[in-house]
Amino acid sequence: MSESARDRWLSYGMSVLLHGGLIALLAVGLWHFHHAAAPAPSVPINATVVDARTLKGIGSASTPAVKPKPAPPQTPPQPPVQGPPLPTPDELAMREQAAKEEAEHEAEAQQQLLARQQAEQAEQEAQRKAQAAAAAEAAQAQAAAQAKKLAQAKKLAHEEKLAEARKKAEAKKLAAEKLAQQRKLAEEKKLAEEQAAAQRAARVAELQQSLQEDQRAALASGALASWTSEITSRIQNAWIKPPTAQPGIECVLNVSLVPGGTVTGVSIGQCNGDDAVRQSIQTAVYNASPLPAPPDGIAFPSQLIITFKPTN
Amino acid sequence: MKPTPRMALLPRMLLAVLSAACLACPAAWAQLQIQITSGVTNPVPIAIVPFAEAPTDGTDVADVVQHDLVGSGRFTALARDRMPATPTDAAAVKFADWKATGTDYVVVGRVTPIANGQLAVDFNLLNALTGQSIARQRFTGTASALRNAAHRVSDVIYQAITGIRGAFATRIAYVAVAGSGANQLFQLVIADADGYNQHLILQSRFPIMSPAWSPDGQWIAYVSFENHLSAIYVQRVLTGQRTMVSMRAGINGAPAWSPDGRKLAITLSGVSGHPQIYTLDLSDQHLTRITEAPAINTEAAWAPDGRSIYFTSDRAGEPQIYKIGITPGSIPQRITFTDEYNAGPHISPDGKLLAMVTRDDSGNYRIAVQNLATGEFRVLTHGRLDESPSFAPNGATIMYAARPGQGEAGILATISVDGLTGLSLKPTQGEVRDPAWGPFIQ
Repeated sequence: MSESARDRWLSYGMSVLLHGGLIALLAVGLWHFHHAAAPAPSVPINATVVDARTLKGIGSASTPAVKPKPAPPQTPPQPPVQGPPLPTPDELAMREQAAKEEAEHEAEAQQQLLARQQAEQAEQEAQRKAQAAAAAEAAQAQAAAQAKKLAQAKKLAHEEKLAEARKKAEAKKLAAEKLAQQRKLAEEKKLAEEQAAAQRAARVAELQQSLQEDQRAALASGALASWTSEITSRIQNAWIKPPTAQPGIECVLNVSLVPGGTVTGVSIGQCNGDDAVRQSIQTAVYNASPLPAPPDGIAFPSQLIITFKPTN
Repeated sequence: MKPTPRMALLPRMLLAVLSAACLACPAAWAQLQIQITSGVTNPVPIAIVPFAEAPTDGTDVADVVQHDLVGSGRFTALARDRMPATPTDAAAVKFADWKATGTDYVVVGRVTPIANGQLAVDFNLLNALTGQSIARQRFTGTASALRNAAHRVSDVIYQAITGIRGAFATRIAYVAVAGSGANQLFQLVIADADGYNQHLILQSRFPIMSPAWSPDGQWIAYVSFENHLSAIYVQRVLTGQRTMVSMRAGINGAPAWSPDGRKLAITLSGVSGHPQIYTLDLSDQHLTRITEAPAINTEAAWAPDGRSIYFTSDRAGEPQIYKIGITPGSIPQRITFTDEYNAGPHISPDGKLLAMVTRDDSGNYRIAVQNLATGEFRVLTHGRLDESPSFAPNGATIMYAARPGQGEAGILATISVDGLTGLSLKPTQGEVRDPAWGPFIQ
């Protein structure tokens, strides 16, 4: 908003300056014109000192309207030329005549010259006018063109500016959108990552737990198996097998234990063995006491079921 | 502050976890399957505490029992000087002290005089680990029967711990040879299974051979050359009453009682013929020829079912054991293949094992057993000249004659059927041969 206002003011200013410039040009032109026209009556006075070349130079001067004529050269005035010795009366008369004639002739010539000069001046004036007009026109055209150009440029600049602003805005918007999108993406990514991490962590935890459980189970089962085997071996070494403990004999013992593995009681459950077998297995379990300690973390069971089942 | 639902959840979850853990407990113990499938054959450690004894003939009952049990190979006895005490009844036994000696069982007892000059032997077999009394019993008899009472104590203890009937209170018959040359004297002796308590039932200047117990233990059949010819006699053990059942031409030898006690399987050669196996019906003297092969067939041993006879035959060149049915026309079947020489068969009471004399590659004659079901053959003894194997009535031990060295007198020895425990029965005089282990005494 403020930019467009500024722009407007700028264009006003430019326009004023342009018009001002044009008016100044016209004024200079007019001043020159009047200035040039004004000394015309004094031309005959100075006619003798005017050099044709000078005139010619003046006459050939171009574009005085656009460029004010520079000030006359600061060269020092030429000293008066030394004339011949003073003439006789006849000569004077003759000279008078001759002068009269010459004056007449000169007057005529001067008249002619004046006419010519006037014509020239007029023509020059016309030319100058035409030139000025043309110049003015050209200047106006130029100014217009320039103005137009300027306007166009301004418009273009404005448009460009607008476009740029639009572009900027768009870019800004785009950037914002992009940023938002990026932010959104980042957030989504972060969320996904967090979720993935959480899932991973959960999976890892699950795996670890599973592993721990497996390990514990494996450890426990391995340790249990090992312990079982220790107990079995200990009892087998303690079992003096009577000859009647033949294959087909199966006796189940319920063994009571106290912490430390000491056997405190042995009761015979189902048993198809004879008294000797019963005695031997009871004695074996007592002789195996204290039973080997269970693996860490497993308390001694208070009861243990042991099956005697000889295979040979 | 009122707990939020989340806070209230935690203890509940803990409870659930804990109860799940506790539920797993029985499952964990259920996994603990302990199955004992084998044991050891070590001798059972036992302490036979000296019995409190009334004045007797000097028989140390505890010592006899210990000798019996240790001699079986199935027991190891705690030396008396290592005993923590000498209790004579169960109430005085401090089990922890006995357990500390490594003893599984403690036997305490006493011999007390009862009416009519009789003695009572009381004993109590105790489990040192459980403190329980396993067997307690009283045997009565005269002082002269004290050893027999001790053997009966041994039988009870043996059966209580091994599950096998003891055969300590059984008798053996054997031939003793006293003197030499013209003064040589052959004796038929009956003794306790441990060699003690010998009774002479026949004496002769001529060879006596192959005594065999009747299944009821009342009779003994044997071969006597008292008439310069071989003849088979049966003699009543208690009375000495005897009958000659066979004195046929040629060889009359190797009598064996049928399981029912009605027949004898004997070896007869006839005149210049091959020895053959016959059965002789003792009630009517009826003779039935069993073997036909033109070879030596001798040393018959009845299968426990009485339907077949094992015998030695050299029909294949070297002596081997064959089996033949007693029905006429039966085809003999070779039983032994392991060594080149297998002879003198004897069948275990359960019919599962064949004991024999086998000759190894070094020319040693040793006692071997063959499992008749599996064919497993195992040499049990390590002598140079072991012969005449005879199963104890419980089948756990084999008695045999051994000649320890060249020129040395033959002795009697026992070996457990697993070959682990051997024992020598050194007679008081002369050489002994041809042992025959009698049946259980009813």
